[in-house]
Amino acid sequence: MISVSDITVCFAEKTVLDGFSLAVPEQGITALSGPSGCGKTTLLRVVAGLQKPQAGTASLPGPVSLLFQEDRLLPWRTVGQHITDVLPKARRGEVGRWLELVELAGEQARYPAQLSGGMGRRLALARCLACGGALLLLDEPFAGVDAQRAGRILARIRALGTPVLLTSHQEAVLSRCDRVLALEGPPLRQKNR
Amino acid sequence: MTPSTTSRNRIGARIRNVVIPLAFWLGVWQLAALWVGKQLLLPGPLAVAARLWELAGTAVFWRSALMSLGRIFGGFAAGAALGALLAALTCAQPWAGRLIAPAVKVIRATPVASFIVLVLLWAPTGRVPAVVSALMVLPVLWGNVCKGIGQTDPKLLEAAGAYRFSTGKKLRLIYVPCALPYVASGCATALGLAWKAGVAAEVLCQPALAIGKELYRAKITLDTPALFAWTAAVIALSFVLEYALGFLFRRWGKEARV
Repeated sequence: MISVSDITVCFAEKTVLDGFSLAVPEQGITALSGPSGCGKTTLLRVVAGLQKPQAGTASLPGPVSLLFQEDRLLPWRTVGQHITDVLPKARRGEVGRWLELVELAGEQARYPAQLSGGMGRRLALARCLACGGALLLLDEPFAGVDAQRAGRILARIRALGTPVLLTSHQEAVLSRCDRVLALEGPPLRQKNR
Repeated sequence: MTPSTTSRNRIGARIRNVVIPLAFWLGVWQLAALWVGKQLLLPGPLAVAARLWELAGTAVFWRSALMSLGRIFGGFAAGAALGALLAALTCAQPWAGRLIAPAVKVIRATPVASFIVLVLLWAPTGRVPAVVSALMVLPVLWGNVCKGIGQTDPKLLEAAGAYRFSTGKKLRLIYVPCALPYVASGCATALGLAWKAGVAAEVLCQPALAIGKELYRAKITLDTPALFAWTAAVIALSFVLEYALGFLFRRWGKEARV
Protein backbone atom coordinates (compact mmCIF):
# COMPACT_ATOMS: atom_id res chain seq x y z
CA MET A 1 0.00 0.00 0.00
CA ILE A 2 0.99 3.58 -0.68
CA SER A 3 -0.04 5.54 2.36
CA VAL A 4 0.13 8.94 3.94
CA SER A 5 -0.77 9.27 7.60
CA ASP A 6 -1.89 12.29 9.59
CA ILE A 7 -0.37 14.82 7.19
CA THR A 8 -0.68 18.47 8.24
CA VAL A 9 0.37 21.32 5.96
CA CYS A 10 -0.27 24.98 6.74
CA PHE A 11 0.58 28.02 4.61
CA ALA A 12 0.62 31.11 6.84
CA GLU A 13 -2.88 31.17 8.36
CA LYS A 14 -4.36 28.61 5.96
CA THR A 15 -4.48 24.91 6.83
CA VAL A 16 -4.51 22.92 3.59
CA LEU A 17 -4.03 19.43 5.01
CA ASP A 18 -5.14 18.79 8.59
CA GLY A 19 -4.18 15.31 9.74
CA PHE A 20 -5.05 13.89 6.33
CA SER A 21 -4.58 10.16 5.77
CA LEU A 22 -4.88 8.14 2.60
CA ALA A 23 -4.03 4.60 1.52
CA VAL A 24 -4.09 3.43 -2.08
CA PRO A 25 -3.18 0.01 -3.52
CA GLU A 26 0.25 -0.40 -5.11
CA GLN A 27 -1.24 -1.08 -8.52
CA GLY A 28 -3.45 0.55 -11.11
CA ILE A 29 -4.51 4.15 -11.48
CA THR A 30 -5.96 6.09 -8.57
CA ALA A 31 -7.54 9.45 -9.24
CA LEU A 32 -8.08 12.31 -6.83
CA SER A 33 -10.93 14.56 -7.82
CA GLY A 34 -12.18 17.67 -6.12
CA PRO A 35 -12.65 21.39 -6.55
CA SER A 36 -9.68 23.65 -7.37
CA GLY A 37 -7.74 24.75 -4.31
CA CYS A 38 -8.94 21.89 -2.10
CA GLY A 39 -5.37 20.64 -1.53
CA LYS A 40 -4.83 17.91 -4.16
CA THR A 41 -1.64 19.46 -5.53
CA THR A 42 -0.26 20.01 -2.04
CA LEU A 43 -0.92 16.35 -1.26
CA LEU A 44 0.99 15.24 -4.39
CA ARG A 45 3.86 17.57 -3.49
CA VAL A 46 4.00 16.07 0.01
CA VAL A 47 4.08 12.55 -1.44
CA ALA A 48 6.84 13.63 -3.88
CA GLY A 49 8.88 15.03 -1.00
CA LEU A 50 8.79 18.60 -2.34
CA GLN A 51 6.56 19.92 0.43
CA LYS A 52 7.64 19.19 3.97
CA PRO A 53 4.55 18.61 6.15
CA GLN A 54 4.34 20.08 9.64
CA ALA A 55 3.25 16.64 10.80
CA GLY A 56 2.64 13.16 9.44
CA THR A 57 4.47 10.56 7.38
CA ALA A 58 4.31 9.05 3.91
CA SER A 59 5.09 5.45 3.09
CA LEU A 60 6.11 4.94 -0.53
CA PRO A 61 7.26 1.95 -2.59
CA GLY A 62 10.41 3.79 -3.80
CA PRO A 63 11.44 6.91 -5.72
CA VAL A 64 8.56 8.80 -7.32
CA SER A 65 8.23 10.88 -10.48
CA LEU A 66 6.01 13.96 -10.39
CA LEU A 67 4.29 15.72 -13.27
CA PHE A 68 3.90 19.30 -12.06
CA GLN A 69 0.68 21.23 -12.45
CA GLU A 70 2.57 23.59 -14.83
CA ASP A 71 4.58 22.18 -17.75
CA ARG A 72 7.93 23.62 -16.51
CA LEU A 73 9.60 23.05 -19.89
CA LEU A 74 12.97 24.59 -20.75
CA PRO A 75 12.43 27.05 -23.64
CA TRP A 76 15.99 26.41 -24.91
CA ARG A 77 15.70 22.59 -25.11
CA THR A 78 14.03 20.70 -27.94
CA VAL A 79 11.29 18.13 -27.45
CA GLY A 80 13.81 15.31 -27.87
CA GLN A 81 16.32 16.91 -25.51
CA HIS A 82 13.68 17.20 -22.76
CA ILE A 83 13.45 13.42 -22.75
CA THR A 84 17.18 12.79 -23.14
CA ASP A 85 17.83 15.09 -20.17
CA VAL A 86 16.00 12.81 -17.73
CA LEU A 87 17.27 9.50 -19.13
CA PRO A 88 20.48 7.87 -17.93
CA LYS A 89 23.11 7.37 -20.68
CA ALA A 90 22.31 3.68 -21.10
CA ARG A 91 18.64 4.49 -21.91
CA ARG A 92 19.16 7.37 -24.37
CA GLY A 93 17.73 5.22 -27.17
CA GLU A 94 14.28 5.32 -25.53
CA VAL A 95 13.48 8.90 -26.56
CA GLY A 96 11.30 7.81 -29.49
CA ARG A 97 9.39 5.34 -27.35
CA TRP A 98 8.35 7.95 -24.75
CA LEU A 99 7.39 10.47 -27.41
CA GLU A 100 5.31 7.86 -29.23
CA LEU A 101 3.55 7.06 -25.97
CA VAL A 102 2.27 10.64 -25.74
CA GLU A 103 1.75 10.93 -29.52
CA LEU A 104 4.58 13.41 -30.10
CA ALA A 105 6.64 11.25 -32.47
CA GLY A 106 8.10 13.39 -35.24
CA GLU A 107 8.23 16.53 -33.06
CA GLN A 108 11.68 15.85 -31.61
CA ALA A 109 13.40 18.88 -33.14
CA ARG A 110 10.77 21.44 -32.12
CA TYR A 111 11.07 23.86 -29.21
CA PRO A 112 8.38 24.39 -26.52
CA ALA A 113 7.44 27.77 -28.05
CA GLN A 114 6.55 25.93 -31.26
CA LEU A 115 4.13 23.56 -29.50
CA SER A 116 0.45 24.04 -28.71
CA GLY A 117 -0.67 24.01 -25.06
CA GLY A 118 -1.80 20.39 -25.27
CA MET A 119 1.43 19.30 -26.96
CA GLY A 120 3.47 21.03 -24.24
CA ARG A 121 1.44 19.18 -21.62
CA ARG A 122 2.08 15.86 -23.35
CA LEU A 123 5.80 16.63 -23.54
CA ALA A 124 5.86 17.37 -19.79
CA LEU A 125 4.03 14.07 -19.24
CA ALA A 126 6.50 12.14 -21.44
CA ARG A 127 9.41 13.63 -19.47
CA CYS A 128 7.84 12.56 -16.17
CA LEU A 129 7.16 9.03 -17.47
CA ALA A 130 10.70 8.71 -18.92
CA CYS A 131 12.19 9.78 -15.58
CA GLY A 132 10.30 6.87 -14.06
CA GLY A 133 10.06 5.60 -10.49
CA ALA A 134 8.11 3.24 -8.31
CA LEU A 135 5.13 5.62 -8.32
CA LEU A 136 3.91 8.17 -10.86
CA LEU A 137 2.30 11.31 -9.46
CA LEU A 138 0.47 13.16 -12.24
CA ASP A 139 -1.06 16.54 -11.49
CA GLU A 140 -3.68 17.32 -14.15
CA PRO A 141 -1.84 15.25 -16.80
CA PHE A 142 -4.38 15.87 -19.55
CA ALA A 143 -5.15 19.58 -19.14
CA GLY A 144 -5.64 20.89 -22.68
CA VAL A 145 -5.61 17.38 -24.19
CA ASP A 146 -8.73 16.11 -25.97
CA ALA A 147 -10.65 13.27 -24.31
CA GLN A 148 -9.98 10.62 -26.98
CA ARG A 149 -6.25 11.20 -26.99
CA ALA A 150 -6.19 11.35 -23.17
CA GLY A 151 -7.93 7.94 -23.12
CA ARG A 152 -5.37 6.40 -25.49
CA ILE A 153 -2.41 7.78 -23.54
CA LEU A 154 -3.90 6.68 -20.21
CA ALA A 155 -4.26 3.14 -21.57
CA ARG A 156 -0.55 3.15 -22.51
CA ILE A 157 0.40 4.48 -19.06
CA ARG A 158 -1.61 1.67 -17.47
CA ALA A 159 0.34 -0.83 -19.60
CA LEU A 160 3.62 0.39 -18.05
CA GLY A 161 2.51 -1.35 -14.84
CA THR A 162 3.69 1.44 -12.53
CA PRO A 163 1.14 2.59 -9.94
CA VAL A 164 -0.28 6.02 -10.70
CA LEU A 165 -1.81 8.65 -8.43
CA LEU A 166 -3.30 11.46 -10.50
CA THR A 167 -5.50 14.49 -10.10
CA SER A 168 -8.02 15.48 -12.74
CA HIS A 169 -11.18 17.45 -13.34
CA GLN A 170 -11.95 15.69 -16.63
CA GLU A 171 -14.80 13.19 -16.48
CA ALA A 172 -13.33 11.30 -19.48
CA VAL A 173 -10.12 10.73 -17.53
CA LEU A 174 -11.76 9.92 -14.20
CA SER A 175 -14.02 7.32 -15.81
CA ARG A 176 -10.95 5.41 -17.06
CA CYS A 177 -9.22 5.21 -13.65
CA ASP A 178 -9.40 2.14 -11.39
CA ARG A 179 -10.57 4.15 -8.43
CA VAL A 180 -11.60 7.72 -7.85
CA LEU A 181 -11.35 9.44 -4.49
CA ALA A 182 -13.70 12.39 -4.27
CA LEU A 183 -12.14 15.09 -2.11
CA GLU A 184 -13.19 18.43 -0.75
CA GLY A 185 -11.61 21.19 1.29
CA PRO A 186 -9.51 22.93 2.36
CA PRO A 187 -8.59 21.41 4.65
CA LEU A 188 -8.54 18.35 2.39
CA ARG A 189 -10.88 15.50 3.36
CA GLN A 190 -12.59 12.61 1.61
CA LYS A 191 -16.21 13.26 0.76
CA ASN A 192 -18.90 11.29 2.57
CA ARG A 193 -16.60 10.25 5.34
CA MET B 1 7.80 41.77 -50.05
CA THR B 2 10.48 40.79 -52.60
CA PRO B 3 14.13 40.16 -51.57
CA SER B 4 15.25 43.26 -53.50
CA THR B 5 12.74 45.46 -51.59
CA THR B 6 13.94 44.01 -48.27
CA SER B 7 17.55 44.68 -49.24
CA ARG B 8 16.67 48.26 -50.30
CA ASN B 9 14.87 48.83 -46.97
CA ARG B 10 17.90 47.54 -45.06
CA ILE B 11 20.24 49.89 -46.95
CA GLY B 12 17.83 52.79 -46.30
CA ALA B 13 17.75 51.98 -42.59
CA ARG B 14 21.57 51.75 -42.48
CA ILE B 15 21.85 55.21 -44.12
CA ARG B 16 19.28 56.69 -41.68
CA ASN B 17 20.76 55.10 -38.56
CA VAL B 18 24.51 55.17 -39.24
CA VAL B 19 25.62 57.29 -42.21
CA ILE B 20 23.53 60.42 -41.58
CA PRO B 21 24.33 60.74 -37.81
CA LEU B 22 28.03 60.03 -38.54
CA ALA B 23 28.13 62.65 -41.30
CA PHE B 24 26.36 65.14 -39.01
CA TRP B 25 28.89 64.76 -36.19
CA LEU B 26 31.87 64.83 -38.57
CA GLY B 27 30.44 68.06 -39.99
CA VAL B 28 30.08 69.52 -36.48
CA TRP B 29 33.66 68.51 -35.70
CA GLN B 30 34.96 70.09 -38.94
CA LEU B 31 33.07 73.32 -38.27
CA ALA B 32 34.38 73.44 -34.69
CA ALA B 33 37.96 72.89 -35.97
CA LEU B 34 37.53 75.69 -38.49
CA TRP B 35 36.13 77.96 -35.77
CA VAL B 36 39.05 77.21 -33.35
CA GLY B 37 41.50 77.58 -36.24
CA LYS B 38 44.45 75.93 -34.46
CA GLN B 39 45.41 72.33 -35.28
CA LEU B 40 47.29 72.08 -31.98
CA LEU B 41 44.04 72.56 -30.05
CA LEU B 42 41.52 70.87 -32.33
CA PRO B 43 42.52 69.25 -35.62
CA GLY B 44 39.70 68.64 -38.12
CA PRO B 45 38.55 65.17 -39.17
CA LEU B 46 40.41 65.38 -42.48
CA ALA B 47 43.73 66.18 -40.76
CA VAL B 48 43.17 63.31 -38.32
CA ALA B 49 42.27 60.91 -41.14
CA ALA B 50 45.44 61.91 -42.99
CA ARG B 51 47.56 61.33 -39.85
CA LEU B 52 45.83 57.99 -39.23
CA TRP B 53 46.54 56.94 -42.83
CA GLU B 54 50.17 57.92 -42.34
CA LEU B 55 50.44 55.98 -39.07
CA ALA B 56 48.71 52.94 -40.56
CA GLY B 57 51.58 52.67 -43.02
CA THR B 58 54.07 52.02 -40.20
CA ALA B 59 54.79 48.69 -38.52
CA VAL B 60 54.77 50.31 -35.06
CA PHE B 61 51.11 51.24 -35.47
CA TRP B 62 49.98 47.68 -36.12
CA ARG B 63 52.30 46.11 -33.55
CA SER B 64 51.21 48.61 -30.88
CA ALA B 65 47.53 48.11 -31.75
CA LEU B 66 47.89 44.33 -31.63
CA MET B 67 49.80 44.35 -28.34
CA SER B 68 47.22 46.68 -26.74
CA LEU B 69 44.41 44.52 -28.09
CA GLY B 70 46.06 41.41 -26.66
CA ARG B 71 46.69 42.96 -23.25
CA ILE B 72 43.25 44.50 -22.88
CA PHE B 73 41.31 41.55 -24.26
CA GLY B 74 43.38 39.21 -22.09
CA GLY B 75 42.53 41.32 -19.03
CA PHE B 76 38.88 41.49 -20.06
CA ALA B 77 38.66 37.71 -20.51
CA ALA B 78 40.40 37.01 -17.19
CA GLY B 79 38.24 39.55 -15.34
CA ALA B 80 35.05 38.19 -16.92
CA ALA B 81 35.94 34.58 -16.10
CA LEU B 82 36.94 35.40 -12.52
CA GLY B 83 33.86 37.61 -12.04
CA ALA B 84 31.56 34.83 -13.27
CA LEU B 85 33.32 32.26 -11.10
CA LEU B 86 33.09 34.44 -7.99
CA ALA B 87 29.42 35.15 -8.77
CA ALA B 88 28.71 31.42 -8.94
CA LEU B 89 30.47 30.96 -5.61
CA THR B 90 28.60 33.93 -4.10
CA CYS B 91 25.24 32.47 -5.11
CA ALA B 92 26.14 28.91 -4.12
CA GLN B 93 27.57 29.60 -0.66
CA PRO B 94 26.21 32.33 1.63
CA TRP B 95 29.52 32.47 3.54
CA ALA B 96 31.39 33.06 0.26
CA GLY B 97 28.92 35.82 -0.63
CA ARG B 98 29.56 37.51 2.73
CA LEU B 99 33.32 37.44 2.04
CA ILE B 100 33.28 38.30 -1.67
CA ALA B 101 30.61 41.04 -1.82
CA PRO B 102 32.52 43.69 0.23
CA ALA B 103 35.79 42.98 -1.62
CA VAL B 104 34.10 43.41 -5.00
CA LYS B 105 32.41 46.61 -3.81
CA VAL B 106 35.82 47.99 -2.74
CA ILE B 107 37.28 47.12 -6.18
CA ARG B 108 34.31 48.85 -7.85
CA ALA B 109 34.77 52.04 -5.79
CA THR B 110 38.59 52.28 -6.04
CA PRO B 111 39.81 54.87 -8.58
CA VAL B 112 41.51 53.41 -11.68
CA ALA B 113 44.57 55.62 -11.09
CA SER B 114 45.09 54.07 -7.62
CA PHE B 115 45.01 50.59 -9.13
CA ILE B 116 47.44 51.55 -11.90
CA VAL B 117 49.99 52.96 -9.46
CA LEU B 118 49.59 50.03 -7.05
CA VAL B 119 49.78 47.33 -9.71
CA LEU B 120 52.79 49.08 -11.22
CA LEU B 121 54.59 48.42 -7.91
CA TRP B 122 53.64 44.74 -7.90
CA ALA B 123 53.65 43.57 -11.54
CA PRO B 124 55.90 43.93 -14.61
CA THR B 125 55.03 47.00 -16.73
CA GLY B 126 53.62 44.96 -19.61
CA ARG B 127 51.09 43.22 -17.37
CA VAL B 128 49.71 46.31 -15.63
CA PRO B 129 47.12 47.20 -18.36
CA ALA B 130 45.81 43.61 -18.39
CA VAL B 131 45.56 43.43 -14.59
CA VAL B 132 43.87 46.86 -14.38
CA SER B 133 41.40 45.94 -17.17
CA ALA B 134 40.60 42.69 -15.35
CA LEU B 135 39.96 44.61 -12.12
CA MET B 136 37.53 46.94 -13.91
CA VAL B 137 35.66 44.06 -15.58
CA LEU B 138 35.41 41.77 -12.54
CA PRO B 139 32.81 43.75 -10.50
CA VAL B 140 30.56 44.31 -13.54
CA LEU B 141 30.47 40.62 -14.48
CA TRP B 142 30.16 39.58 -10.83
CA GLY B 143 27.10 41.82 -10.40
CA ASN B 144 25.45 40.77 -13.63
CA VAL B 145 26.03 37.05 -13.19
CA CYS B 146 24.74 37.24 -9.59
CA LYS B 147 21.64 38.98 -10.91
CA GLY B 148 21.21 36.37 -13.68
CA ILE B 149 21.52 33.48 -11.25
CA GLY B 150 19.14 35.24 -8.84
CA GLN B 151 16.55 35.58 -11.61
CA THR B 152 16.59 31.84 -12.38
CA ASP B 153 13.04 30.49 -12.21
CA PRO B 154 12.77 28.51 -8.94
CA LYS B 155 10.08 26.33 -10.55
CA LEU B 156 12.57 25.13 -13.17
CA LEU B 157 15.09 24.39 -10.43
CA GLU B 158 12.45 22.46 -8.47
CA ALA B 159 11.62 20.45 -11.58
CA ALA B 160 15.33 19.76 -12.13
CA GLY B 161 15.53 18.45 -8.57
CA ALA B 162 12.42 16.31 -9.01
CA TYR B 163 13.86 14.80 -12.22
CA ARG B 164 17.13 14.07 -10.41
CA PHE B 165 19.41 16.39 -12.44
CA SER B 166 23.02 16.41 -11.23
CA THR B 167 24.58 19.75 -10.19
CA GLY B 168 26.51 19.91 -13.48
CA LYS B 169 23.36 19.31 -15.48
CA LYS B 170 21.48 21.99 -13.52
CA LEU B 171 24.32 24.40 -14.22
CA ARG B 172 24.48 23.60 -17.95
CA LEU B 173 20.76 23.33 -18.67
CA ILE B 174 19.27 25.91 -16.33
CA TYR B 175 21.66 28.37 -14.69
CA VAL B 176 23.84 29.13 -17.76
CA PRO B 177 20.94 29.75 -20.21
CA CYS B 178 19.14 31.88 -17.59
CA ALA B 179 22.26 33.95 -16.87
CA LEU B 180 23.35 34.31 -20.52
CA PRO B 181 21.45 37.57 -21.29
CA TYR B 182 22.90 39.13 -18.13
CA VAL B 183 26.42 37.96 -19.06
CA ALA B 184 26.03 39.46 -22.56
CA SER B 185 24.88 42.81 -21.18
CA GLY B 186 27.66 42.79 -18.55
CA CYS B 187 30.30 42.03 -21.20
CA ALA B 188 29.11 44.93 -23.38
CA THR B 189 29.42 47.36 -20.45
CA ALA B 190 32.68 45.89 -19.17
CA LEU B 191 34.40 45.93 -22.54
CA GLY B 192 34.22 49.73 -22.75
CA LEU B 193 35.58 49.98 -19.20
CA ALA B 194 38.41 47.57 -20.02
CA TRP B 195 39.56 49.74 -22.94
CA LYS B 196 39.35 52.97 -20.95
CA ALA B 197 41.26 51.57 -17.96
CA GLY B 198 43.71 49.55 -20.06
CA VAL B 199 44.77 52.47 -22.24
CA ALA B 200 45.01 54.75 -19.18
CA ALA B 201 47.32 52.16 -17.59
CA GLU B 202 49.43 52.05 -20.76
CA VAL B 203 49.77 55.85 -20.69
CA LEU B 204 50.99 55.76 -17.09
CA CYS B 205 53.22 52.68 -17.16
CA GLN B 206 54.58 52.92 -20.73
CA PRO B 207 54.99 49.28 -21.82
CA ALA B 208 57.20 48.62 -24.89
CA LEU B 209 54.57 48.55 -27.64
CA ALA B 210 51.27 50.14 -26.68
CA ILE B 211 48.65 52.57 -27.92
CA GLY B 212 48.83 54.34 -24.54
CA LYS B 213 52.55 54.92 -24.99
CA GLU B 214 51.91 56.43 -28.44
CA LEU B 215 49.19 58.65 -26.97
CA TYR B 216 51.68 59.90 -24.39
CA ARG B 217 54.30 60.47 -27.11
CA ALA B 218 51.74 62.46 -29.16
CA LYS B 219 51.04 64.58 -26.07
CA ILE B 220 54.69 65.43 -25.32
CA THR B 221 55.49 66.17 -29.00
CA LEU B 222 52.30 68.30 -29.26
CA ASP B 223 51.19 66.11 -32.21
CA THR B 224 47.42 66.57 -31.63
CA PRO B 225 46.36 64.93 -34.94
CA ALA B 226 48.31 61.80 -33.85
CA LEU B 227 46.58 61.94 -30.44
CA PHE B 228 43.22 61.95 -32.21
CA ALA B 229 44.37 59.27 -34.69
CA TRP B 230 45.45 56.88 -31.90
CA THR B 231 42.19 57.59 -30.06
CA ALA B 232 40.29 56.75 -33.26
CA ALA B 233 42.26 53.48 -33.43
CA VAL B 234 41.21 52.64 -29.84
CA ILE B 235 37.57 53.40 -30.65
CA ALA B 236 37.73 51.26 -33.80
CA LEU B 237 39.31 48.33 -31.93
CA SER B 238 36.73 48.65 -29.15
CA PHE B 239 33.89 48.60 -31.70
CA VAL B 240 35.35 45.58 -33.49
CA LEU B 241 35.67 43.66 -30.22
CA GLU B 242 32.17 44.70 -29.09
CA TYR B 243 30.74 43.61 -32.44
CA ALA B 244 32.59 40.28 -32.29
CA LEU B 245 31.36 39.62 -28.75
CA GLY B 246 27.81 40.68 -29.67
CA PHE B 247 27.91 38.31 -32.66
CA LEU B 248 29.16 35.49 -30.44
CA PHE B 249 26.44 36.02 -27.82
CA ARG B 250 23.71 36.40 -30.47
CA ARG B 251 24.80 33.11 -32.03
CA TRP B 252 25.10 31.38 -28.70
CA GLY B 253 21.72 32.75 -27.62
CA LYS B 254 20.15 31.67 -30.89
CA GLU B 255 21.53 28.15 -30.51
CA ALA B 256 20.41 28.07 -26.89
CA ARG B 257 17.08 29.77 -27.79
CA VAL B 258 17.56 32.21 -24.89
